[in-house]
Amino acid sequence: MLYRYDGTKCGFLTAFCRAFQDKAARLSSGSVQLALGEMCEDVTADAALAERAEKRFLSFDGGCIRELERMLHSGAPDKDEVIFNYFRMIATKKRPVREMLAEDAVRKAEDCILRIRVEIDHMKGFLRFMETKSGAMYAPCSPDNDIIDLLLRHFRARMPHFPFLIHDVSRAKAAVWDGAHCYFAPLGRAEIELSDDECAWQTLWRDYYKSVNIPSRERLKQMRGYLPVRYMKFMNEFFGH
Amino acid sequence: MISEEKLKILTNGAKYDVSCSSSGSHRKNADGLGNAAAPGCCHSFTPDGRCISLLKILMSNDCIFCCKYCVNRAGEDVPRATATPEELCELVIDFYKRNYIEGLFLSSAVFVSPDHTMERLLLTVKKLRTEYNFHGYIHLKGIPHADGALCREAATYADRMSYNIELPSEHSLKLLAPQKSKESLLLPMRSLSVQKREFQLEKRKGHFLPAGQTTQMIVGASPESDGQILRLSQSLYRANGLKRVYYSAYLPVVHDSLLPERAGGQLREHRLYQADWLLRFYGFEAEEIAPADGNLSLEYDPKCAWALNHPECFPVEVNRAPLELLLRVPGIGARSAYKIMNARKYAALDFEHLSKMRVVLKRAKHFITCRGKFFGAKNESTVKLLLAGEETKRNAEQLSLFSARETALSALTGEL
Repeated sequence: MLYRYDGTKCGFLTAFCRAFQDKAARLSSGSVQLALGEMCEDVTADAALAERAEKRFLSFDGGCIRELERMLHSGAPDKDEVIFNYFRMIATKKRPVREMLAEDAVRKAEDCILRIRVEIDHMKGFLRFMETKSGAMYAPCSPDNDIIDLLLRHFRARMPHFPFLIHDVSRAKAAVWDGAHCYFAPLGRAEIELSDDECAWQTLWRDYYKSVNIPSRERLKQMRGYLPVRYMKFMNEFFGH
Repeated sequence: MISEEKLKILTNGAKYDVSCSSSGSHRKNADGLGNAAAPGCCHSFTPDGRCISLLKILMSNDCIFCCKYCVNRAGEDVPRATATPEELCELVIDFYKRNYIEGLFLSSAVFVSPDHTMERLLLTVKKLRTEYNFHGYIHLKGIPHADGALCREAATYADRMSYNIELPSEHSLKLLAPQKSKESLLLPMRSLSVQKREFQLEKRKGHFLPAGQTTQMIVGASPESDGQILRLSQSLYRANGLKRVYYSAYLPVVHDSLLPERAGGQLREHRLYQADWLLRFYGFEAEEIAPADGNLSLEYDPKCAWALNHPECFPVEVNRAPLELLLRVPGIGARSAYKIMNARKYAALDFEHLSKMRVVLKRAKHFITCRGKFFGAKNESTVKLLLAGEETKRNAEQLSLFSARETALSALTGEL
């Protein structure tokens, strides 16, 4: 049976309770191809059931709900299966399992969390803000994982007096900080008018980027290893490359 | 806004400083702009493979010192520029809010006098912290021969400070940087280290170099061996509590009869970093890694070289070996060693488990057993040959059609 849920923590925990006893269960939060003869059930999030399940999981492992919240940000197509297998193992063993790295389910969950953590670290550095006419900062991006809410938290702590908008172009959504509140909104395309100084600052940055390089020590392979090409399209030092 | 020309001149002069790390400091945003987190953050990478984390810039490149190796030395015919504290502060703030940088790395040539230079540097960081309310990362260079009180005050604003040793012996320093002396570099380092300890013991408010101190040495401009360099690094870590020693392969940017014509090897620099890593995180002593007057092997990484010289310690059983020994197995890094320690509490590990845990078995298999089974080469000379072959591949050297090593490997493995 395929249990379809809404992609939220509450939805996952509800679906988990429905699917736990079913040995052939699969979970999905997106569109997925059903196997021949496989049935599908749409699970509606049940807050009370999810709360009970959360408490039970926390009694087995104090850190697993944080891991769940993190893994739900994953953009990997098999994330639901990975999360389900990991939580099924915690529920079966009734104890933390994250150190049992000989188990496939644990290793895959660890990889999933690591990939998200690495991308958050990347985006904290590679995101580029532009100053708009109104003074607000605008940063387009296209991360592999759905992480703009986590990025918003980071930049809000860093520049609380600057209103900004982080635009996930591929998921058509935006995270906004207006200087007092943060909120999330669907956003397909943004029309941006840049401030008068913006182009001059971008040029200075490109000049700096060129000057700080030592051409006689060129190591392009190493550079690409640290800075994957897919992130370059929103970084102005690479515009025109 | 600083002019493009000035920015280029001042960046060009600063780019040979290796350190660009923004790690080690945890600074909260106190109703201003910016913060700092202990792991640091890289904001871009240049084609030379180095990370851009901080805005690395000189305050001035108009130097009164005449260090033979330096592109900014007095008398050298290069364009000169000096930035004002306001220009630098504005640049930092505008780059920072666009998320180009994690903070500032401010260095300077010695202009007018060491005290004057240090005063200007101090004024800039003080302005950034107090007037611009900036709480991002600041790495400040210490100026040799500058007054101790200025350095002490600067340390309360900066996250990290560094005095570059530049040359690994007093003799080379006298020869190539005659205005600097061993004392002018080591004494301020020592004094900042003592002051930091006092600050921590007295639990005073504020900050005092939360990310500690670093230094840098040029490798290949003078004749010191790797063994000497590593012993110096080890003593700096232990006596002065340095966080990091950086190594920079010599680049001939200026000509002088006292300097080599050719650049220092980048592979040598890489080996020194690997050895330095072993000193800091793997419990090795400098004496174990390289003899006092000898160099590191270019053929094998330092851990591999040590393991090959100590066959009596291997193979180790991964399911029983203590952490200190696992850390000495080539191919098992600190993260893998801790993973193994955790995972083996729940199940006896075999090679398949290790491979899935991403342990580099190509090297490790020659030095370990799993559940008593050994999958490495039995003959010591074969192990050396295979490991040397792997190093060649990893260093991406141009393969020679008639290379004896490659022919021998091919004969052994059958691989064409």
